Amino acid sequence: MMKRRIRYASVTAALILFSFLWAVTASADVQIQCPGDKDGDGISEDPNIVCRSITAGDGFTKMADGLDLYIFSFGDGEGVPPDRIIADLTLKAQLPAPTIILKQGQELYLTMTNVGMVVRPDLFDTHSVHWHGFPNAAPIFDGLPEPSPTANMGNSFTYYYNAAVPGTYFYHCHVEAAEHMQMGMIGNLWVTPIQDGTSIEGFTKFAYNDEDGSTGYDVAYPLLLTGFDSFFHIASDTVQALPFAAMFDEYPMINGRGYPDTINPNNIVNKNGFAAQKICSLITATAGQRILLRVSNISTTHQYTFATTLGVPMKVVGRGAALLRGPDGKDTSMDVNVLNVGGGQAYDVILDTSGVAPGTYFLYTTDLANLSNGEQERGGIMTEIVINPLNDPV
Amino acid sequence: MRRKRMDRIGKKIHIWVVVLMGAVFLVSGTGAHGAIVGKSGSTFHLVAKQDVLITSDGDSFIMWGFGIKDDVSGATSRAQYPGPTLIVTEDVPVTITLRNELPAKAGNVSIIFPGQKVTATSRVLGPLTYEAVPVETLPESVDGSATYTFTPSEPGTYVYRSGTMADLQVEMGLVGALIVMPATTPSGGDPAKKYAYNHVDSQYDREFLYLVSEMDPRIHRLVEQNLIGNINFTTYFPTNWFINGRNYPDILAENNVLWLPTQPYNCQPRMHPGEKVLVRFIGGGRDIHPMHFHGNDFETIAVDGRLLSSEPEAGPDLAWQATTIKSIPGQTADLIWTWTGKEIGWDIYGHSPDDPLEPDEYAPNHGKPFPVVLPQRDSVTYGAFYSGSPFLGGEGELPPGHGGLNASGGYFYMWHSHTEKELTSNDIWPGGLISFMIVEHPDVPID
Repeated sequence: MMKRRIRYASVTAALILFSFLWAVTASADVQIQCPGDKDGDGISEDPNIVCRSITAGDGFTKMADGLDLYIFSFGDGEGVPPDRIIADLTLKAQLPAPTIILKQGQELYLTMTNVGMVVRPDLFDTHSVHWHGFPNAAPIFDGLPEPSPTANMGNSFTYYYNAAVPGTYFYHCHVEAAEHMQMGMIGNLWVTPIQDGTSIEGFTKFAYNDEDGSTGYDVAYPLLLTGFDSFFHIASDTVQALPFAAMFDEYPMINGRGYPDTINPNNIVNKNGFAAQKICSLITATAGQRILLRVSNISTTHQYTFATTLGVPMKVVGRGAALLRGPDGKDTSMDVNVLNVGGGQAYDVILDTSGVAPGTYFLYTTDLANLSNGEQERGGIMTEIVINPLNDPV
Repeated sequence: MRRKRMDRIGKKIHIWVVVLMGAVFLVSGTGAHGAIVGKSGSTFHLVAKQDVLITSDGDSFIMWGFGIKDDVSGATSRAQYPGPTLIVTEDVPVTITLRNELPAKAGNVSIIFPGQKVTATSRVLGPLTYEAVPVETLPESVDGSATYTFTPSEPGTYVYRSGTMADLQVEMGLVGALIVMPATTPSGGDPAKKYAYNHVDSQYDREFLYLVSEMDPRIHRLVEQNLIGNINFTTYFPTNWFINGRNYPDILAENNVLWLPTQPYNCQPRMHPGEKVLVRFIGGGRDIHPMHFHGNDFETIAVDGRLLSSEPEAGPDLAWQATTIKSIPGQTADLIWTWTGKEIGWDIYGHSPDDPLEPDEYAPNHGKPFPVVLPQRDSVTYGAFYSGSPFLGGEGELPPGHGGLNASGGYFYMWHSHTEKELTSNDIWPGGLISFMIVEHPDVPID
């Protein structure tokens, strides 16, 4: 029952009515809200409604040099009934968090359940979801703990987003953000444009509604750049004072892994036997194809700059989930050899492989100190781009 | 019964907030009025002095800042961080004098004005410009001050800062904002409206300053201990970050509060839905800070005091949209930000379909029900700026002990650095580069 008083009685009535239009499956205070889900499987029968269930809690990762690091992050509650979420998903945080992909115009009901942090029973932190870059956001679903309610441990909160604007975003927890984001509460999120499926200039997939095919691509990869400060994670794991002022990432990563784990096709399994790092960042394309890179940086301490050895410039077509066009439509896209990405920035980059000889190329950070996994050299922010020949049966 | 009691508590909160805000206004004597607080005119007498600034971790540092002499009373203000925001007019000649009342150990001091064609005079020519000599080192009869004159030919947002030993003197606080207002209303413009540049597309309703900077406390300690020679900038490692010279939460306090005597400027943007806010954004320090704007995209219409135009008269046709902008040391940018609630997918006012529209309300959302059931109160933690209601201008039951700091039900959006460690003040969370834009219900007056 809702106890809150809302100024408009008619809205209260509408809310109560609305709340019975779909099955609310509940266990204790874990509630998954999914309009149009008539059989309680967490999937809406309305194709325009996407329901996702994620958890927020703790877990472990393995760095590319073998170091085990304690993290906070989100886990995947897909298909797990509400009464099993806490039991099944404690210590199952993933790095990065489960990827969320929507089509423009879809509505997302994202239920986040705070499953607690069993390694730190002294903490009573809430968690939240901040959809970074959501245009015309409302505070209630913005995930900022200051102007909104955030879920206590053992409870869930359903966020609602009308995905009206396509582009590359990301999401993260905003509670005590310097700590929770350093600890790993970050994930990929993007919205594909309504233009997808139409054929323009030989493409059927696009980064934006460009109307001229300039953002068309064949294959797309997220590159979520971040880093860990191992001292901070170890301090958290061992219940020590957290070194905010000294924070300095020395484990730079793409999608939660340092090279060579970035090209490992398998899951990285943590010390508890759980596959916490699932995203391989090996980029593969067939000669002549266009690759879309959805790049973002969520490091709490570093900007990252990167380049490729493909020999073709990177074409930056989007920034901050907006097509690079002036207010009157002027093309403001940029051909660059290196791209600097500050914390909180997202870019859409097209790599055109026409004329590129098949082979293996590198994508790597030109801030060369970040080519490391802690003290181990030749790691960090680097991955490979494999261009296969046109008629390769593979 | 319950409802009535809550109403009474709600009213009490309203009354106390009003009383408190009134008291603050009385003390400070200034409101924001949607304009940037500063010194307007064409002649300014600046004085470089040593003073103390206060950080939100409860610490204080020796700082060097610019004070300003009042033309009427002849009194000179304390040094302030950042320096006084100088507001001048396009094509009107500007004269700025600089008197050096810093301790002799600070050496000479000067001011550079990037983007202006400056004529400078004084007794001493330094590497970048003419410098003012510490009065402490001169006989009273000798005038060691420097004078800078220029005629600003282009409106926009600029920075001024020390041009002498700038690595130390800017760190110590000798930096400020210079704003050049257009001389006339742009062609096709409305004289009743405000414009940042000579083009109608630079129109805005309210403006706010975001001068972003940082400090390494160790350097200020060495200055305090007369160990300037021991300062090593190769190990520079800031742990305190400032917007307009203050850390969060001091950033939210009124302008000119008594407890921050050398940090007069706040950063508390507020607006009504649909209004256009001009953010005058300045990289005032030495590091790059990616500043992220919650709530909506901004449009960058100008950089370094020049509209992003493909050709003269084209207006900002090369403007770019994003939610994060890097503050580049010494660079300025002008951003236009607005918020309408467009395409949120539900009615932000909680209307029923037959209610009248609010001003500038996005009509397709009108009467659309709120999409989810919020958890009961004990399942969640209410933030200090949560009104108890998801609706704009709404209110709701607050848990015991909640401060009720958002009595008007405004929508708070954090505008902050996304290098999130900068949201601290020397190991203390929260602090540093956090501010909040508040979008208020159309009925809530904003001075």
